[in-house]
Amino acid sequence: METLGLLMDGFNTALSLENFLYALLGCFIGTLIGALPGLGPANGVAIMIPLAFTLGLPPETALIMLTSVYAGAMYGGRISSILLNIPGDEPAMMTCLDGYPMARQGKAAEALALSALASFIGSLVATIGLIFLAPVLARFALSFGAAEYFALVVLAFATLGGVTGKNPVKSALAAGIGLAIATVGIDLSTGTQRYTFDVLELFEGIDFIVAIVGLFAVSELLLFIEAHQGSTPRSEVKMNPLRLSFASVVQILPTSLRGGVLGFIAGVLPGAGASLGSFVSYTLEKRIVGSKGYFGEGDPRGIAAPEAGNNGAASGALVPMLTLGIPGSATTAVLLAMLVSFNITPGPLMFTQNADIVWGVIAALLLGNILLLLLNIPLVGIFVRLLSIPPRYLLPIVTMVAFVGVYAISRSAFDLCFMIAFGVMGYIFRKAEIPLVPIILGMLLGPEMEKNLRHVMQIHDGDWTMLWDSSLSIGLWCIALAGLILPAIIGPILRVRMRRTAD
Amino acid sequence: MINLDRILGLVLLTLAVAYGWGAFNFPVAFAGPESVGPATFPKILAFIVGACSLYMLVKPDSLEEGEGFEYKALPELLLVLAVLVLYVFMMEPLGFVLSTAIMVAVLCWRMGVKPLYAGVTGIVSSTLVFLLFHFGLALPLPIGPWEV
Repeated sequence: METLGLLMDGFNTALSLENFLYALLGCFIGTLIGALPGLGPANGVAIMIPLAFTLGLPPETALIMLTSVYAGAMYGGRISSILLNIPGDEPAMMTCLDGYPMARQGKAAEALALSALASFIGSLVATIGLIFLAPVLARFALSFGAAEYFALVVLAFATLGGVTGKNPVKSALAAGIGLAIATVGIDLSTGTQRYTFDVLELFEGIDFIVAIVGLFAVSELLLFIEAHQGSTPRSEVKMNPLRLSFASVVQILPTSLRGGVLGFIAGVLPGAGASLGSFVSYTLEKRIVGSKGYFGEGDPRGIAAPEAGNNGAASGALVPMLTLGIPGSATTAVLLAMLVSFNITPGPLMFTQNADIVWGVIAALLLGNILLLLLNIPLVGIFVRLLSIPPRYLLPIVTMVAFVGVYAISRSAFDLCFMIAFGVMGYIFRKAEIPLVPIILGMLLGPEMEKNLRHVMQIHDGDWTMLWDSSLSIGLWCIALAGLILPAIIGPILRVRMRRTAD
Repeated sequence: MINLDRILGLVLLTLAVAYGWGAFNFPVAFAGPESVGPATFPKILAFIVGACSLYMLVKPDSLEEGEGFEYKALPELLLVLAVLVLYVFMMEPLGFVLSTAIMVAVLCWRMGVKPLYAGVTGIVSSTLVFLLFHFGLALPLPIGPWEV
């Protein structure tokens, strides 16, 4: 019951008045970020990081706020799915299937309330899973040596695209570019200058926060400019007064529980991710309910299943991030960036060295979910109204916030120019369908990866075979290889199926 | 039309070669040459990036209809980028409020807002953020020529 004691300490941290208020603020901003089209969760959390810095928050408060933003963004994604038939992010795609028909039948309020409830249950199930699985995994990961760590990072890159990923060559390319950017600066173990071109600003390397904000926020602006999508899609759906029957709540309970468990598994597994979580739980639910359901025509269970799955996966994805320091999704990669910038090394040691922070975050996740449920049911009207802010006003303001945030950390025009450059790069790469997350992951994990590689080589006197010497590292290499090859085989089949279900 | 993948493949291949070439020319470390020194990892990366970009160059993804680069949007994009870069360098001389207001207003306008509304959005949002940061968070932003 050591875990419960630690969790209680976590609640003590999370429930202090200041942290609680920041959690509330985070939940609100997160829902907004998730709901507004054109502002994905990773993007939103990225913009919030420099702001959390400038506020001068202590690490646990900043983490609690950003975890709440993360949880909130997952909640918010469903609002535009249901009301506009536009998924706020990819995992919310499945929610459109039954959410939009239900809204058109004049049951928008019910759809929103039931999906909020399902999200809550899914997150709750997965957070409980996280509480029990994470410490076990962290203890196991303590036995990792340098070779195993190196293999683990390779595995993370190999599975990052996920089984639904498109072109593995482009993922590998992106990972290589990210790692290459990470080598810029003074080499920590020898003091050699690498790619600094004698520019003082480059001696400490390229700040990944600048890169992240540029890659996500600035490239988003450029994409919108190109597409001329300045206007808001009009919602044909009217909000109705909420009439929630007890029977419909009971009806979605088993669905949400199942969805939460499936989502959690999909979130924990490398390469699965939230999209797969919501897809699997939707299709499974359809099969379980069978002909008694009316899926695709506004069945509440068709909203509950993917929402529970997607929120379960969001919490599940925190397991590898917190225990191994290996994020499985864009948003967890951004959260990792924040940990690293607070000088907290994620990974198994975090559970012993920074126990208060880890458990504070987990407690914040639970608290955030309760807050979100409470916020979402009565306040959904406000979010709906905010949804009608057109991107043509929103994106310039978001850009301004991104600039102010980065400027406030470093006060350097050099960093701002770098941010714009990363924005251009992000825009071009998105056009070429080169994924951006491996770049960020490469920048984040590069230094550790290189350190471990050189460590292995120094111990074993440059013997490269030592990288796959233990059974554990061989296992990790095998999974990594499978992660690279499988998507090429299963990926196309799975994508076709997902699209067919969506149509 | 030239495929974007091919152009990018070529550009990245060049960069990878330059990056790899750089790794071969690092100054020898103070502690003397090592079997696995600061250059090893960059060499591996240069190889990975080079190989992947070569693959993109030789075998680019076929583009579906409506995807790919919109050349028509290029002037618009360059304008926006010019505004952003100018904004960075004008922030200190012009002060935060004025430079930000202009930046936001131009962006809003280019995204399709009527000039009057765009201007109002710029002024209101930049003033609010300035007040929030300057007085609320006590983080000084450049005031510009109005500094007494």
